[in-house]
Amino acid sequence: MKIVGILLVLIGWLVPVAALTVTQSMTARLILVLLGISISLFGVLWVLNKAHLKHAIWKS
Amino acid sequence: MSGCRRMTVGLWTAAFLLLICGTAWAQNQTNPTTSAQAAPAPAMNAPLDVKAAQPPSADDLAKGDPSGTRTGTVNDVVVADPSKGLTLADTVNQAGQNRIAINFVWTLIAGFLVMFMQAGFALVETGLCRAKNANHTMMMNFMVYGFGLFAYWVCGFAFQMGGGGPYSTLGGANYLTSEHTLSFLGKTWGVFGTHGFFLTQGGSYDVAVMVLFLFQMVFMDTALTIVTGAAAERWKYIAFAISSLLMGALTYPLFANWAWGGGWLSQLGTNFGLGHGYADFAGSGVVHAVGGITALALSMLLGPRIGKYNRDGSPNAIPGHDIVLVLAGCFILAFGWFGFNPGSTLAASGNGALRIGSIAVNTMLAGCTGSFGAILYMWIRYGKPDASMSGNGLLAGLVAITAPSGFVNTIGAAVIGLIAGVLVCLSVEFVERVLKIDDPVGAISVHGTNGIWGVISVGLFADGTSNYGGSWNGVSGSVRGLFYGDPGQLVAQLIGVGTLLGFVFAFSYAANWLIDVIVGQRVSAEDELAGLDIPEMGALGYPDFVLKPETIPSGGSPVVAATVMPSYMSAD
Repeated sequence: MKIVGILLVLIGWLVPVAALTVTQSMTARLILVLLGISISLFGVLWVLNKAHLKHAIWKS
Repeated sequence: MSGCRRMTVGLWTAAFLLLICGTAWAQNQTNPTTSAQAAPAPAMNAPLDVKAAQPPSADDLAKGDPSGTRTGTVNDVVVADPSKGLTLADTVNQAGQNRIAINFVWTLIAGFLVMFMQAGFALVETGLCRAKNANHTMMMNFMVYGFGLFAYWVCGFAFQMGGGGPYSTLGGANYLTSEHTLSFLGKTWGVFGTHGFFLTQGGSYDVAVMVLFLFQMVFMDTALTIVTGAAAERWKYIAFAISSLLMGALTYPLFANWAWGGGWLSQLGTNFGLGHGYADFAGSGVVHAVGGITALALSMLLGPRIGKYNRDGSPNAIPGHDIVLVLAGCFILAFGWFGFNPGSTLAASGNGALRIGSIAVNTMLAGCTGSFGAILYMWIRYGKPDASMSGNGLLAGLVAITAPSGFVNTIGAAVIGLIAGVLVCLSVEFVERVLKIDDPVGAISVHGTNGIWGVISVGLFADGTSNYGGSWNGVSGSVRGLFYGDPGQLVAQLIGVGTLLGFVFAFSYAANWLIDVIVGQRVSAEDELAGLDIPEMGALGYPDFVLKPETIPSGGSPVVAATVMPSYMSAD
């Protein structure tokens, strides 16, 4: 799950970068950038963090 | 009696006359009409007749210069060829050097102020930790300066600034113009600089390069010291040392190159028409968000301190040991921020650098409204004007205004700071209660969350009145945010945020995971309970104090005193 989390973080970064050439529309770029940031945040705060909390010290 | 009275009157009369005469004599001595004062000022647009600038005479100089009008005259202009005397070329060269000298001195003093922020960070972090970890926390803040500086000198500076020159406000640094680029999606993307290793490579042994290095180095060190706060009370010292070296050599310089060193983020305007490219005036993103996001990655890897969470996941407050240190540290940081933001013009003369006045006021205002936002939030929500969160509110406002300080007006600065003050409180609660990530000093929220807010706020509030030499990141005109008519600038800023989350987090996580595998990141549970001063540092921070012993309740995690969240906050 940790690897999935990191992959999501990286994919989320590539989406806004790719958006630069996919479209010239500023609105479309804005939406894609926000989508990318959301994917990265999901990867960090949900997937990766959940993987770490699975074996948290306070659960033992 | 009458004789005595006459004598008294006589003495007073004599004293009065002496005073009158003395004043007249002194005025005669201190106000001579000098030849320098009498010299007519040359017309601004006429060719200078430098021979007409008559210097003060030897007699005038021998009298001293209490008014300061005879010190610094034509006599002090450096003459290239004494046989020719003073020429127009001499005066023009002197004017140019004076401008660069002003910028050098301004940038250096600003850098010294930023360096002093290390003391502020040390006090804030140590005060927010427990007394049993005081030496360890202080020593991390102390040595991060050395580790970071060394790594930055070896290669960090070259990666960051090696391709960003020349820097006109500092008179050149013309050697720093080699940027390694990649061709991708039909464009050229700057990735890292390749000149300036060890500050001796090629033309980097240069006075302008040295000034730039000092200023950029203290910024880098600020990013590094943010991490020590989030990882405090459980981080192995050897792991801290290696992690700091890596961050000073790679993580920070790479993102800083993309934003400030001519890299691809700064080219978003010229390559893709997104406003003026990623604009981060003094480093909400480059310095604070990089530090805060690295702190997030490390906090996840380390896990929370023993006793921070109960078995049901509810958090315990672990108050710091000295709120006096914390608030004194906040004041030192606020003082140092006057170097951070106004100093980022790298100039006090020319290229619109007089905007330093506006930048300094924006900095003050955002810090002020940041502390307002935090204190009001805490007061309304918990019934108390919490001290540590007020301090964090001040810092949050300062972090948030760092990127937009050079582009916004005072209303924008006040709003940005106020939002930051509330945001830091919400973020601390979210990180602690929802994410269950232990951050003893609130570094993730203060620097990470508000660093990102600062980056976004440029894309909203930049008012288009700044003019730093007519262009920014190679795009002519002034930086404007969405509220002033340029949505492209907001998109550029958000791509910067995406890169902070995507690249900086992933890189920091991977690097620190590797360190964890090789040397281990976390101290043993025994060392953590004992406090890290003796196991890690070999000496107590407060050897004369009796520290409260730890208690371990039966069947549960050890409960210890000590965080940024006061006890009344964990009640609900």
